[in-house]
Amino acid sequence: MAILQRRTLLAAGVSAAFASIARHAHAADASLTLYNGQHRKTTEALVAAFTRATGIGVITRNAESPELASQIIEEGARSPADVFFSEQSPPIASLQEKGLLAPIAPATLALIPARFASKDGTWIGTNARTRVITYNKKMVGAADLPKSILDFSTPAFAGKFGYVKQDGFQEQIMAIVHIHGRAEALQWLKGVKQYGRSYNGNRIASTAVENGEIAMALSNNYYWYSMAREKGAANLASAVYSPPGADAGNIVNLSAAGQLKTSRNPEAAQRFLAFMLSRPGQEAMMATTAEYPVIDGLTSPFNLPSMASFTAPVTPADMGSATQAYALEREAGLI
Amino acid sequence: MSSRLAFFAHTSGGRISRPPLWLALAILVPFGLVLLPIAYVVLRSAEAGPSGIVSDLLRPYTLTLLRNTLEIATFVPILAGSIAIAAAWCTERCDLPYARLWRLAIALPLAMPAYVSSFAWSSLGPAFQEMLGAVLILTFYSVPLMYLPICAALRGLDPSLDDVARSLGKRRLQIFHRVVLPQIRPALAGAALLVSSHMLAEFGALSFLRVETFTTAIFEQYNAQFNNRTAALLSGVLMLLCLPVAFAEARLRRHRVARMGRGNSRTPVLLRLGPWRVPALLSLATLTALSFGVPLATLGFWLHEGSSAGQGIAAIWPALLGSLGYAVPGAVLTTLLAIPLVIATTYHRGKLAMLADRLPYLVHGLPGIVVALAAVWFAIRYAGPIYQTSFLVLLVYAVLTLPVAQSSIRASAELVPREFGDIARSLGHSPFRAFIRATLPNLMPGIGAAGALVALWLMRELTATLLLAPAGTVTLATEFWNLTADRAYGAAAPFAAALVVLSGIPVTIFTMRSLRTDDIKIDIQ
Repeated sequence: MAILQRRTLLAAGVSAAFASIARHAHAADASLTLYNGQHRKTTEALVAAFTRATGIGVITRNAESPELASQIIEEGARSPADVFFSEQSPPIASLQEKGLLAPIAPATLALIPARFASKDGTWIGTNARTRVITYNKKMVGAADLPKSILDFSTPAFAGKFGYVKQDGFQEQIMAIVHIHGRAEALQWLKGVKQYGRSYNGNRIASTAVENGEIAMALSNNYYWYSMAREKGAANLASAVYSPPGADAGNIVNLSAAGQLKTSRNPEAAQRFLAFMLSRPGQEAMMATTAEYPVIDGLTSPFNLPSMASFTAPVTPADMGSATQAYALEREAGLI
Repeated sequence: MSSRLAFFAHTSGGRISRPPLWLALAILVPFGLVLLPIAYVVLRSAEAGPSGIVSDLLRPYTLTLLRNTLEIATFVPILAGSIAIAAAWCTERCDLPYARLWRLAIALPLAMPAYVSSFAWSSLGPAFQEMLGAVLILTFYSVPLMYLPICAALRGLDPSLDDVARSLGKRRLQIFHRVVLPQIRPALAGAALLVSSHMLAEFGALSFLRVETFTTAIFEQYNAQFNNRTAALLSGVLMLLCLPVAFAEARLRRHRVARMGRGNSRTPVLLRLGPWRVPALLSLATLTALSFGVPLATLGFWLHEGSSAGQGIAAIWPALLGSLGYAVPGAVLTTLLAIPLVIATTYHRGKLAMLADRLPYLVHGLPGIVVALAAVWFAIRYAGPIYQTSFLVLLVYAVLTLPVAQSSIRASAELVPREFGDIARSLGHSPFRAFIRATLPNLMPGIGAAGALVALWLMRELTATLLLAPAGTVTLATEFWNLTADRAYGAAAPFAAALVVLSGIPVTIFTMRSLRTDDIKIDIQ
C-alpha cells in the first residue's frame, strides 16, 4: 500500500511537471522576439515601458551576449529573433560583418550622435558605459594610481592589478591599437599577462578589489556603482578612477541593438529600436544601472562624472567585432 | 540459496546473446542523439582545415590548458576517493556514534551546487583560489559522489571473507588492503571516473577559482570571437581527453559479480574505534563543516546583508516550478533512454551496443554550450517545429547526463544475473516481456537512484536552458545567474537557498536508496 501511494504520488508529480512545461510552450504568442544579452533588470524595465506605450508584446530570451550572437549565427536565416540587444558592441558588430542586420530607420539614427552608431547604420548604441580602474583606497594612494593604463605593463605594477578578458577588455585593446598602434598593444598585453592577475568577470574582479584581495582592477564603471547601491558608497573600501587625457583607460563603450534581416515583424522591431532611444525608453533603462544615456538632455540618477571627461579618441564603431584584439590576445598567449 | 547460486555459476559462463530487436531499436535513440554534438564538433573543427588546426592547437596556451585540466581531473578524484573511503569505513564498519546521521551529513554537500560553494570559498581570499584551492574545494564537493557508491559496495561485501583473513592472522590494515579494497575497487573506480569527467566539464566553479581548463577556455572563445571554430577544436580535444575515461569505465565492468541475495548476509562485526573515536568524530565534523558549513554560512550572510535582499522574490515560486518542471521530466527521459544502453551491454554483446554505451561518456565531458549550439544548429535545419520547445531542452538534457543515469542503473544491473531473463523466456515469455517481468523489477533501485541524481544535476543546468528553453522560462538556476550578474547577492541568495533545499530531496532519496540493502526479487509466473 505504502509503495502504491508513493508511486501514485511520483506519477502525479511527473505529470504535473510535464503539464507545467506544456503550458509554457503555448505562452509564446507575442509579436516581437528579443534576444537579450544586456543585464536583465535594464531590459525588463525597457520592455515594460515599451509594451505600456505601444501595446506590442515582447518575448525575451536572456543569455550572455556573445552566446546569443553565436546562437543567431548558428540559426542563420531561420532565426526567430527580431531584435538583438547586446551588452557590448563587438557581438552585434559580428552580426553586422556577417550581413545579418537590417538598416535602421534614419529618423532613429538621427536621435544619437554618429559616434554612437555603426558606420553602416545597422546598429545603434543604446546605453553608454565607461572603462575605469577600480582601486582599493587602503592599498593605493591617489599619487600611486597609473597615469595611463599603459603603465600596467611595467614591473612597477607587478601583482597589483587584476584584469578580465571579456566584457570591455577587447574594446580597450582596440583603443590602444587605434591610439598607439598594433606593436604597442601587443607589448601591453604581454606585460598585462606577466604582471596582472586574470579574473573571470568584472563583477568578481570588482569584489576582489573591494575585499582587499588585489589593489586595482580594469573594469566597467557600473559594477562599482551597483556595489555602492547595495552597500552604501561611504561603506566601500574601493573607488573608481580614470586616467587623465586621451588615454585608452577612459574609453566609452556601448550596449547596442539592431534588427535582424530575417525579422518577421520589421515594423515592430523598428518601433522597438526607436523607443530605446526615446526619452521614456532611456529613462526606464537608466534607472536600473549606472550607465549613461545616449540622447541629449538626460542625466543618470546615479552620481556619475560627466561623460565629457572620457576623451579617448576612439569610437565603438572603430572597434568593430574586435577580431584584431582577439588576434593580439592570442599572440600574447592570453587566450 | 547456495544451490541456486551454484546453478547460476554453472550457466553464467555460457553464451552471451546479441540484443533482441526491441533492444537494438531502443538503443538507436540515445545513440543518434549523442552522435549529433560529436558530429557538430567534428564538422566545425574541420572548417579550420589542417593548417588551421595546427596553428590553433600547437600553442603554449593549449599546453597550459592541458596541464590544468589533467591536474584537476586527476587529483580531485584521488583525494576525494581517499577521503570517501576513510569516511565510509568509519560509518559502515566502525562503531561510530550516530552513524546514520553522519551518512546523511557526508552526503549532504551533493545538494550544494559547485558554483555556490566555490563562490563562498573564493570570496575568503586568494589563498583559496587557483589550482591548489580549486583542487581542495572541488574535492570537498566530490566526496559525496564517491562516498555513496563506496558505502553501497562496503555493505554488499560478505564479511565472512574478513573472518577468513583474520583467522589467517592478518591485521586490520592488511585485511583492508588485501580483502576489502579489491572488492570495492569497481565501485571506487567507477565513481572516480564519473567525478573525473564532471571535472572536465566544470565551468562555474573554476571560473570563480581562476583556473583555466579546456572548458573555461571554450567559454572564453565564445566570448572573444564569433566563428566558433577554435571553440569547436578545443571541444574536440576535450572529447579526446574523455576517451580514456569512457573506456576505462568499460574495462572495469569486465569483472562483474552477479549473485542472488547478499551471500552470507550476516551484518559485519563493527570495529571498536576506542581511542580513535574522538579523532574520527572530529575529522567527520571538519569534513562536513568545510564542504557544507562554509557555503551554507555564506548563503546565510547574503540573506541578511545587502539592500538588494528581497528584490525579485516574487519570482521564486515560478522559478521553483520551472526547475521542477524541467528537471523531473528531464530525469525521467534520461533514465528511460539509459536503461536500454545498460541492458544491451550488461546482458548482451555486440559492437554497436558497446559503442552506443560509450559515446555518452565522451559528450558528458563537454561544456553545456557546445551541446546547446549543436542542438541549435541541428534543430533549426532538420527539426524546425521542436526548436525552442521544452522537448528539445529535454533531449539536450538527456545528451548531457546519460552517463550519470547509466552508472547508477549499471550498479543495479550487475547484481542481477542475466539468466533471470533466460528463465522467463524459457517459461514462454517474449524477450520484451521477459525483460519487463524478470529483469526490470530488480533494476528499480538503480533506476530510482539514476532519476534522483540526474534531477539533481539538471536543476543546476544553465546554458542549455537559457539558449533552448521557450522564451520566458525561469528556473532557480537562471534567476540565480541573472541576479548575481547584477551583483545583487542579497536578492540571489533565496534562489540559491531554494536550489539547495530542493536538491536536498533527491540527495536524501539517493542516500537512503543506495544505503538500503534489498535482496534481489524474482517474480516469474
